[in-house]
Amino acid sequence: MAGYIHVDHVKKIYDSGKDVVEAVSGVSFVANKGEFIAILGPSGCGKSTLLMMCGGLEPTSAGTITIDGQEVTGPRANIGVMFQDSTLLPWKTVLENILFPVKIQRRPLAAYRERALELIEMVGLHGFADMKPHQLSGGMRQRVAICRALVTNPDILLMDEPFSALDAMTRDEMNDALLDIWDRYPKTGLFVTHAIREAVYLADRVLVMTKRPATLVADIRIPFDRPRDPSINNRAEFNDTCDQLRRLIEHKRTPWSETKAA
Amino acid sequence: MKQTMAPLDLMLRPPIADRGGRSAALVLRGMKTVQFGRRIVLPCLLAATLLCAWEFGTRLAHLSPLIIVPPSAVLSVLMASYAILMQQAVPTVVETLIGFALAAAIGIMLGTALVLSRRVRQALYPHVLTFQLIPKIALAPLFIVWFGVGPTSRLSLAVFMAFFPVVISTLTGLLSADRNAMRMARAMMASPWQSFISVRVPFALPHIFAGLKVAVTMAMIGVIVGEFVTAQAGLGYIIMMASSAGDTALVLAAIILLCGFGLLLYGAVALAEWLIDRRMGVSITSSEF
Amino acid sequence: MTTGPAIRHKPSSETAYTLGLPIGLGVAVLIGWQLAVRLAGISPVILPAPSDIVQSFGGVGGELLRQGWVTGFEALFAFVLSCLFGVAAALFLGFSTVAFETFYPGLVVFQIIPKIALAPLFTFWLGIAATSRLSYALFISFFPVTLATMTGLKRADTNALRLCHALGASRLQAFVAVQIPYALPYFFSGAKVAATMSIIGIVIGEFISANAGLGYYILRAQSYSETAHMFAAILVLCGIGLLLYIIPVQAERWVRRWWWD
Repeated sequence: MAGYIHVDHVKKIYDSGKDVVEAVSGVSFVANKGEFIAILGPSGCGKSTLLMMCGGLEPTSAGTITIDGQEVTGPRANIGVMFQDSTLLPWKTVLENILFPVKIQRRPLAAYRERALELIEMVGLHGFADMKPHQLSGGMRQRVAICRALVTNPDILLMDEPFSALDAMTRDEMNDALLDIWDRYPKTGLFVTHAIREAVYLADRVLVMTKRPATLVADIRIPFDRPRDPSINNRAEFNDTCDQLRRLIEHKRTPWSETKAA
Repeated sequence: MKQTMAPLDLMLRPPIADRGGRSAALVLRGMKTVQFGRRIVLPCLLAATLLCAWEFGTRLAHLSPLIIVPPSAVLSVLMASYAILMQQAVPTVVETLIGFALAAAIGIMLGTALVLSRRVRQALYPHVLTFQLIPKIALAPLFIVWFGVGPTSRLSLAVFMAFFPVVISTLTGLLSADRNAMRMARAMMASPWQSFISVRVPFALPHIFAGLKVAVTMAMIGVIVGEFVTAQAGLGYIIMMASSAGDTALVLAAIILLCGFGLLLYGAVALAEWLIDRRMGVSITSSEF
Repeated sequence: MTTGPAIRHKPSSETAYTLGLPIGLGVAVLIGWQLAVRLAGISPVILPAPSDIVQSFGGVGGELLRQGWVTGFEALFAFVLSCLFGVAAALFLGFSTVAFETFYPGLVVFQIIPKIALAPLFTFWLGIAATSRLSYALFISFFPVTLATMTGLKRADTNALRLCHALGASRLQAFVAVQIPYALPYFFSGAKVAATMSIIGIVIGEFISANAGLGYYILRAQSYSETAHMFAAILVLCGIGLLLYIIPVQAERWVRRWWWD
């Protein structure tokens, strides 16, 4: 299985004539095959931008991103993406939405139909294949988005705060669903979030980013085996790890506010 | 998405279902039927009342037939001169349809072109907007100067009037495509053409149809004004002729026929919109009627 | 998409494009027009050059202003009346459900039909004086205002209305406090349409019962083959149309600033 991501001193600069904003300042890390990596940080710290660059949807201003040895210059067929907004096409059914990438990439529809139906079953949307998105709840729509991201069996899954718009209970359900999927179809994953507990629950490694400058300040390995279940939420190591991450985020915030005041 | 317009008092009254029980559900259903019935009966009552008032009012008040004639007289003229009226309706309707079709085709193409090139859009769009806002009808005599009194001038006026709403609505519609959906398509390796056809265009359809509905009425108006001024053929011509001859009944008959065709053509576009609605399974109908 | 500094266009150059391109295009068209007419020797009866049109302003500028004043004033009058009547009708229909259900279908029908077909009727009934033009212009401008305002009244936020009900407000109080402010943007969009419609109505009236105004002037110029004068009159008419359109636009801005402050 491919899916080895190498991010090397990547920067992203926005120059609007009036301000020059460094959205991402020199981030480097390596994602190994099959690793689920959470990118954690407060809002506006450039983590979404970093994800977009990994997916080839935004160009880097400096540095390179290579996937499986090849530099990323644009979107790739072996990368699946999920956004905060499920972005399902309202006029297509659930099944048609899931098969949309298959159609776009001109793969044989018949071959992938089976897989799409399997995925629908797996995420618990049995019977909803012919429904339209407006008939589904937010959580259900994100499940369809997961199926769509998985249908072409990508090596890498990039997820930009996919569950942030959902209510707390649905979010927990979706986290469990994602863990399930990961057990069955292991891939390399980059998952952007600002929820510390979610990051620890889902990931093998957590990369902590801060803003201004938008850099990586830590790379924490999560000490839990897979398969995971909700009981790990109560374990001491879980809360310790969460505390550690929280301190990392806040610690890095303080020097900046002092500098600001000066 | 369609918005339902609930009458104000029904929104403010406490829900009947709160009073509990199966009888409540029956009452609710009864109320809904009454409400639905009212929506049909009341306007019909209004129309009937107005017609009666018109009929008996004109007869009783002995108004000069040069001013107004009772609807019965209009009806009899309509039936008597049916052949001539329909014969004259043909050029009007045909010119409207051709004008509309041309305006729609050119308008959609130009609207699409404006979406594809930002620079072209910046250069052309302000001019398009300006043309939309000016009283385009004032240019009717100009078209006569250029194209004479034949169907060309009427047709060009119709296209001129119908074209701008289509361009503007097509452009607005295509630009209204959900950004995230477009980005997602790009992430899936869609080519620019695929993104355009599979994502942008369906999002644009409600706007485009709104523009087409305006365009069909505008095309007809252009043709009618053309007929008023060129006075050659068509229902507009009949109206002018009958006016100067003092034949009020014929004037009214021609007007009613013209309005009827106007409604029919508008209805045809609305029907097309409804059919596509059904095929796509979402409400693309624009929020107006 | 390769790596490289992500340069976004600086705002100043962007404004240059936004203004420069359309203006540049307009100028280019004018120059092309002038050259084409002169070089191809096109008769000024068919297509006068821009310089001819400017010249006619010098010649008949005074009369254009006079006729323009007539047309403009009548259009303004029709516009204001249509807004007043339109709002009154919308308020009545918005408040009374029975009235709404009775009249709404008729309103829609009248909005859709080619009202131009009824223009001769107004001349028929009201003669060739200004009254017929004004009533026709009022007739065609009235419906957009009514329908738009009514849509706004109906769309009032259900939650805000529920709040009113919870607070014990009467229907009238809810109507005034929630629905009317909510309907304002809709009213303004209807008013913008009415601004264009009222001048169209006046011009059509002048075409039919021509005895004054720019519409009449255009027809007269056409009969004398004075195409340059026609163009000049059309330009003045367009100017009036745009001025009239600015009224609801500015009124909306003013209301927003005053209300939303």
